[in-house]
Amino acid sequence: MIGSELLRRAVRAGLIGGVAIVYLALVGMVEKFEARHLVSDWLNLGKLLLALPPLLAGYLATRPRVESGQLVRPARGPAVTAGLVSGVLTGGVAALWLAFVHLFPPGAVRNIFIAVSPKLLDIMTFGRGLAVGVVLWVVVGAGLGALGAAYRTLPERAGRPLSVGLATTLMLALLQRIIPPLLYNLNLDSTWLYSTSFGGLTPVGAVVVFVVATALPALWMVRGQAVRQRVTQLPPARRRVFDVSRLLLLAVVLAVVPRLLGSALSEVLGEIGVYLLMGLGLNIVVGYAGLLDLGYVAFFATGAYLTALFTGAHLVTSLGAVASPSFILHLDFYPAVPLVILLAAFVGLLIGAPVLRLRGDYLAIVTLGFGEIARVLLTSSWLQKFTGGPQGLRDITDAHIGGVGFRDPQPFYYLVLAFCALAVFVSVRLADSRVGRAWSAMREDELAAEAMGISTVKYKLLAFAMGAAVGCLSGTLFAVQIGSLTPDSFTILVSITALAIVVVGGMGSIRGVLVGTVLLIGLPGVLDEFEEYRLLVYGAALIVVMVLRPQGLIPNIRRMRELQEEEVAQDQWLKEEAPAVTVGGGGAS
Amino acid sequence: MTEQSGGSVETAVRPRAAVLAERFPIHRVALVAVAVLVTFGVVTGSWKTIAQGGVSGAGWRTFVVLGIDQGSIYALIALGYSLVYGILLMINFAHGEVFMSGAFASYFVAQSLDSKGLLTRDPIPSLVLLFLTAILVSMSVAILLERVAYRPLRNAPRLVPLITAIGASLFLQYTFSGFFGSDAKGYPSVKALEGTIDVGGFPVSRTQALTIIAAIAMMIGLSLFIARTRTGKAMRAVAEDKEIASLMGININRVVVTTFAIGGVLAGVAGVLFALTFSEVDSFMGFVPGIKAFTAAVLGGIGSVSGAAIGGLILGVAESIGPVLLLTGIHVPATNQLRDVVAFTILVLVLVFRPGGILGTGEPDKA
Repeated sequence: MIGSELLRRAVRAGLIGGVAIVYLALVGMVEKFEARHLVSDWLNLGKLLLALPPLLAGYLATRPRVESGQLVRPARGPAVTAGLVSGVLTGGVAALWLAFVHLFPPGAVRNIFIAVSPKLLDIMTFGRGLAVGVVLWVVVGAGLGALGAAYRTLPERAGRPLSVGLATTLMLALLQRIIPPLLYNLNLDSTWLYSTSFGGLTPVGAVVVFVVATALPALWMVRGQAVRQRVTQLPPARRRVFDVSRLLLLAVVLAVVPRLLGSALSEVLGEIGVYLLMGLGLNIVVGYAGLLDLGYVAFFATGAYLTALFTGAHLVTSLGAVASPSFILHLDFYPAVPLVILLAAFVGLLIGAPVLRLRGDYLAIVTLGFGEIARVLLTSSWLQKFTGGPQGLRDITDAHIGGVGFRDPQPFYYLVLAFCALAVFVSVRLADSRVGRAWSAMREDELAAEAMGISTVKYKLLAFAMGAAVGCLSGTLFAVQIGSLTPDSFTILVSITALAIVVVGGMGSIRGVLVGTVLLIGLPGVLDEFEEYRLLVYGAALIVVMVLRPQGLIPNIRRMRELQEEEVAQDQWLKEEAPAVTVGGGGAS
Repeated sequence: MTEQSGGSVETAVRPRAAVLAERFPIHRVALVAVAVLVTFGVVTGSWKTIAQGGVSGAGWRTFVVLGIDQGSIYALIALGYSLVYGILLMINFAHGEVFMSGAFASYFVAQSLDSKGLLTRDPIPSLVLLFLTAILVSMSVAILLERVAYRPLRNAPRLVPLITAIGASLFLQYTFSGFFGSDAKGYPSVKALEGTIDVGGFPVSRTQALTIIAAIAMMIGLSLFIARTRTGKAMRAVAEDKEIASLMGININRVVVTTFAIGGVLAGVAGVLFALTFSEVDSFMGFVPGIKAFTAAVLGGIGSVSGAAIGGLILGVAESIGPVLLLTGIHVPATNQLRDVVAFTILVLVLVFRPGGILGTGEPDKA
């Protein structure tokens, strides 16, 4: 009925899916996410999380396969059967685990795995006891697995709009804290869309959103080509008007957003902006020049502490008295910023110069070492006179224009927006400049670039300096935003967060960095449940993106070709092994 | 290298500034400046400290023993980095978490043994059980890591597996804190390991003695394994040349998995020793020892067993003695806070000046 190869993959995907469910339960996500309602009280995030593994297992088990150079898709019948098998296995593993846990007296498992609470077990058995729970797991798992596989067999013109529709509905449900106040500020009624008692979408709202979000892309698939053609065929003058008005529209939207969202969410926007700056800076070093910098937090700290020391701040001495640091200027914010940028660029050179000749991975570790040195020095009693030691600096002078301070979230948003616009502009111009081309040449092949007359020493130093200059701005803004600094804000995790933003978004792609920041910083910002699992998810995202989609979500075209070339350019003798490697990689995900 | 050979031919025509710039390129000038500064700092700092005589002879001896003890643990972890690097030319950034997982797993066993009083009554079987648990768990984590995060990327550009390794490190840290709680857990103490013995004037606690002996035993065992067994021979062949080795009928995947497994075994042993020494485990304990062990591996020359041992010892002693020796004399307060700075500075200096390690050739590029 279904081929043995397909069956093998279905079993494998099913077992992995089951392990994933057990993992999600043990790590505490299921219980935590149960409290977030998505659609009235019908669907919550915890249940969705439990439904994903069987769905994905069915979907991944039926992946088209390369067979002697040809892409082979399983037919609908066998595919659905395979999905069914993998779904049953996923549900089966979860059920087995539940039964196993129930063997022990209540509390015994919890002494080791702290997440296994009675409430979790209640959720996992759907509140109906072990026996019913086990049966439900197998049956529902089978259904979801078959669904995942069936989705695979849909033709593209049905599948694409459907996925857009589902994704949009999910997105709107997740943005439940953002959209209602927005609609309220626009004097629109939101009660039909968002349930006031649960927080998620109302059932009617969910259906409406899903239908609209499915119909629009379906329409676009039919008519989109024609519309796009008309725009590209516009006369240049008209085209320009079109482009400019698009930009203006974007500017207007960006300008009114904090007014519509209110103070609490503007703070999230501010945080996104700070990390966006950091991502853009790191993108220059990692994405453009291909130098993996794991100590990027050093520049973040440089920007923050220098801004504090240049514009004025206080520290607490070891005796508990408030005092001025041993070095302090009381400059205005605006003259201080260029100074900070210059000094940070210099620090970039200082860090860059000794490591120029190092190979990529050693460079990464050395910069990591620099980042840690920076943090330990900030904490040490030795430099306490300047940095305030573990207590850090406080009462940092606020930046202002005409008496309006920037510490409040809404004005701060505009400051961040201005800096981000500047950084985006610099990044775009750099990418297309002679320097940017030299960087990409160097990134692709250092020896070849050198042979073409590119001074790799000069361009590497330039990359470090530019990256430091852009990255320090995020520190500057951070100092303005929170008004007090402690070394705890400058750990290696900041470097890794910035790296995750760049990698997930797509190395070398400005739009990618933007999307990466919104996803990785914005989502935990608006949904408190994510906050706790933020770094866990970053870690997983780094692995998954690198294994499945190394070019990132929104790839830089040239960079993508490089990565694919590497795949193509495998040695001939490895050719027989290569497909096995790819299959193994996909299955493990 | 290229600057030198190209420069000498055309010197007559070039302006002097250009010739100078070519002969003394900026990175080399920077390197020399750093070297001079460091040497100056080390010499004056130590001289002042010794001249002032603020630390007694017994104090120094304690520091040395502490350093050797720490160094043995670093050496054990370093071997994991070294072996993997020798074969795959990749830095297994998550190796610190392999070490952590072993220590963590043995904590639960130690706790239950302690609650039954077995840890005091039958210390030796209990310790063996602790080591076995840690070894098993660390080994499984290492093998899983290779399978999920590294094998699919065997042929990717070099930075790609490094990025997944960073991701894996983060993932493991937060998985453990999600599973078992993020608070530090007190590791039960073993009565039989309390007390100090005097070895030629050096005060050595029993835990330290166990650590040092266990580390030496593991390293001898590993050397024998690599030198004598068939698998060891295959590992050496793969490290030499992966492609030729595979042509000779060696199963590369099996050798790679074995390498990760051995690294896991050593890390597991190191995990228990570390937990016994510091009486505490938490899910983030692997990160800093991991980086330091990597430093040790590079210091001794990455890819060699004796190198990891020597690197570990040097690093351990340097970070134990270094801050006191170099900084007390120039009146830096609270020198012990700067331990990590010493270690990381050594890391940076070694990678910059002798990326091939002390025993190595000084040639940075092995590939």
